[in-house]
Amino acid sequence: MRLKDKLPLSYLLFTSRGRIHRATYWIVSTFIWSTFYVLHTALHDLVGVWATYFLYPLLVGSLFATATKRLHDANRSGYWLLAVLIPVLGPIWLFYQLGFKKGTPKINTFGTVPDEAADYFKNDTGQLIPNLNTKERIINDVTQLNPVVVAEVFRPLSVDELRERIRSTTGPVSVGGGRFSMGGQTASSHSLHIDMRGLNQVLDFSKDDRTISVQAGIRWCDIQRFIDPHDLSIKIMQTYANFTVGGALSVNCHGRYMGHGPLILAVRSMNIVLADGSLVRASRTENPEVFFGAIGGYNGIGIIVSVELDLEENLAVRREYYKLTRPNYRTYFADSIRDNPEAVFHNGDMYPPSFTNMRAVTWVKTLEKPTVKTRLMPLRESYPLERYFLWAFTETFFGNWRREHIVDPLLYLSKPIHWRNYEAGYDVAELEPRSRTKRTYVLQEYFVPVRHFDEFAGKMSEIFNRYHVNVINVSIRHALPDSGSYLAWAREEVFAFVVYYKQRTSEIAKNEVAIWTRELIDAAVSVGGAYYLPYQAHATSEQFHRAYPNAGKLFALKKKLDPNFRFHNVFWDTYYERL
Amino acid sequence: MLRLPILTVLMVLVASFIFLRKGRHSLTIPAGEGCVVPKDWLVSNPHPVTPVEHIRPADQTFLTYPEWFLVHSPAEIADYAHVKTTTTFPYVSHIKQLWQSYSVVYDQIKGSFPFNTGYHIMIWVIGVSTTVEYAMKSLYETIVGRLTNPTHGEVVTDEDKFNARFAQDYVDFIRVSPWYEFDFASRIPALLSGTSFFGTHFLRKCDRKYMLLTELLVKAGYGYLIKLGTKASYDEALPTTAVIIDQLPTAITTGRPGSVSPTKTYADGSALLLLPRYEAFHPAVSALAQQGVTFREIAGNNSALLLTVLAPATWQPASPDFRLVFTQPILTKPGLKRVALVTQVKWLDKTVRFVNEQGVKIEHVYDY
Ligand SMILES: Cc1cc2nc3c(=O)[nH]c(=O)nc-3n(C[C@H](O)[C@H](O)[C@H](O)COP(=O)(O)OP(=O)(O)OC[C@H]3O[C@@H](n4cnc5c(N)ncnc54)[C@H](O)[C@@H]3O)c2cc1C
Repeated sequence: MRLKDKLPLSYLLFTSRGRIHRATYWIVSTFIWSTFYVLHTALHDLVGVWATYFLYPLLVGSLFATATKRLHDANRSGYWLLAVLIPVLGPIWLFYQLGFKKGTPKINTFGTVPDEAADYFKNDTGQLIPNLNTKERIINDVTQLNPVVVAEVFRPLSVDELRERIRSTTGPVSVGGGRFSMGGQTASSHSLHIDMRGLNQVLDFSKDDRTISVQAGIRWCDIQRFIDPHDLSIKIMQTYANFTVGGALSVNCHGRYMGHGPLILAVRSMNIVLADGSLVRASRTENPEVFFGAIGGYNGIGIIVSVELDLEENLAVRREYYKLTRPNYRTYFADSIRDNPEAVFHNGDMYPPSFTNMRAVTWVKTLEKPTVKTRLMPLRESYPLERYFLWAFTETFFGNWRREHIVDPLLYLSKPIHWRNYEAGYDVAELEPRSRTKRTYVLQEYFVPVRHFDEFAGKMSEIFNRYHVNVINVSIRHALPDSGSYLAWAREEVFAFVVYYKQRTSEIAKNEVAIWTRELIDAAVSVGGAYYLPYQAHATSEQFHRAYPNAGKLFALKKKLDPNFRFHNVFWDTYYERL
Repeated sequence: MLRLPILTVLMVLVASFIFLRKGRHSLTIPAGEGCVVPKDWLVSNPHPVTPVEHIRPADQTFLTYPEWFLVHSPAEIADYAHVKTTTTFPYVSHIKQLWQSYSVVYDQIKGSFPFNTGYHIMIWVIGVSTTVEYAMKSLYETIVGRLTNPTHGEVVTDEDKFNARFAQDYVDFIRVSPWYEFDFASRIPALLSGTSFFGTHFLRKCDRKYMLLTELLVKAGYGYLIKLGTKASYDEALPTTAVIIDQLPTAITTGRPGSVSPTKTYADGSALLLLPRYEAFHPAVSALAQQGVTFREIAGNNSALLLTVLAPATWQPASPDFRLVFTQPILTKPGLKRVALVTQVKWLDKTVRFVNEQGVKIEHVYDY
């Protein structure tokens, strides 16, 4: 934890680093003066005049620190405080600068815009184990539910360095990208853990062809920053931009895009390092089995080091919504959304606990001017409102009712217009609770052929209610069929049911989750669907194979390309049979 | 970070509580709740004999008090500046005395006279300006002045001596003229040339130069603006106060030098005199009272008249000729207090004689 978070008030009062807003300056100044007055009076009256002199270092220190930070906000150094020495004009000018001058709207010499985070939320680089002299580290994922001790963390900065390390070693290897997968997919006990985030360069870019080649450790947000000036946008990605391309590729992710589906549909080719350290290029035509095995393959056959991706135009999109009941959703979707060339993003939110009322939200192309000031989503230091709502929806009486009937209607009063990049730029930080030690938020996802939407939805809501699952949201998305990856979750056109829920972290609670998860998997499989693999590995081996009938092909490929079972993680440790 | 706003609100509450409690009862002590002046004293003269151009509203004897406080206060500063640097002057208590006494005098006339909007606005303007000035000075002296102040606050630097002189000249000036006529600008070269740059108490010298320069510059600018504003919204005030006395004292009839000659005499022996207004009014009144003159009208009024005296803290006056309105301790002169008395015009001579007999000094008579 940074000092800034641990001691926010002392940080504000006594360090001169960074920037503060005008409002903060007014508040903190009021605080400083009123506190000084109270302490001064108390010391003067109760102890003696001499005692008041002890307050001066504190007073002067805090006045200097806060004023310096305020000057920084308008991109001026703290030395400008010397202006106070010019009689009359100096103090007046400073008063204006400190109390009224707007800060620079972007990052400046002295730091990011106050309350804006410098970067997207990131997971650590492996926690040290206290009093241990080996290179062992704990690798955990965003949920903090899956700590795994790895032998060493290695963060390559070049492909050659990575290949050399793979070639020169023999033991188990695990690979992590952003580590936002939630079931130990990025670590295995005593493996060499490879942190891919150091391989984050853009290798090639063509505006005319709308393609970009990147190293696999780069994050979507980094690509967005690169292509946004060229009015281009990532064709397929998740809603949040924290994830790495390699991690997204290895789960074959999807977003809320209309007319698209799994990420594989936007991939042209890639380079991958195999278990022996060799580098292989794979596309639909070149080494296709590697291409179809690695995408959605959870690092089973190799380490993806670079990828060539399709891009699309960065359009302005306007949000529209339609409230309806669940039985009407399929026809509504088929008639108004599925083939609507204007629809860019779509999701249908189901309100717990009955899951019968829905709000279908569609972002349509528009030529109007966006309602947001920036082209990319600004990052914030904290998300108190979001945090409050998540807490209120899940922990308070009638929280869900209030959300459906009061909060959401208010939130949807406006008709925001965003850029396509902006709307794909959310930061996972907005979901982060203050602490994950007692309770944590977890995701699950089920993929159901479109024609079985109603059947699965009914089963799902029955299971949730029977187990009193604290569901925050079920969001429906749409995906066109996969083009052939071995672990395809969309073997035909599907609806994805994205479930966001809250669970306690005790062992009992975890087991309970495992039980209802398996029931939900059965429900999905019974209608020819699947469940999503980047989350907790609660499925039995048998359920896994029914949901992913081509898994055997991938296993066979792994046996061929990774004969010594070097690439390990919870997923492979759970489902891969060493024949 | 919700903690900071919450803490701030708490601290502001505590600070305001302390600030408002301090000196609530000790800086200005009213003689009683609300109006302590008999209601029949609080009337306008229905048939004044005084020529109309010399008549001023009856409630102004009270309303001029806050204005005059802003002369009494600089006078106190000037006295203080000779013995001690003004760094330790109780500016904040003076702000409180100003507003507290304004509230007491307003209590006396509330309901008895129509609301004198123009005068209240003027009081607010000068009151707020002074409050800001004193607050800034207090703030500056607390964070800077205190730290450079010589031990025991002795007036040793050229700059502190300059300040004492300036304070004295200023108050002498405003006793007879409006403050904004004071020539602040010409003091700036005097400050810069009349003080050495280096010397003992070097920090103090820098600090004072900075402070005095700021004060002179701001007051020169502000005075200029106020002068423009006053010219535009108020008429030029008469420098005299007309009084009607029952008979001419012998000094005047025999034409002794230094005495005022009557503007007009009436059949019953009474006479209209034009006395100097403001500071010189009360010596003239005292002189007449000593000669046994009784007043019938002052500025056309024959009812309540306010005067303040400076008396020992133990002084407890009582007489049917006047009522006590409030007292204020003179903070920089322990043992001394200001006593505000209200009498009627016809008893002014008796009151003046009573006060003189007691050996108490009249500070001011508020001649409307
Ligand atoms: C808040 C939240 C929202 C989400 N929303 C969506 C969503 O809208 N749609 C969706 O499809 N998914 C979603 N997910 C799931 C997410 O897409 C996956 O967890 C994804 O893998 C995260 O990327 P990452 O970079 O963190 O990968 P990691 O978690 O680091 O890795 C995921 C897997 O990929 C492997 N891997 C990583 N990099 C490489 C590489 N270079 N070569 C080979 N293998 C590699 C890892 O070993 C691991 O098995 C969401 C997850 C969270 C936490």
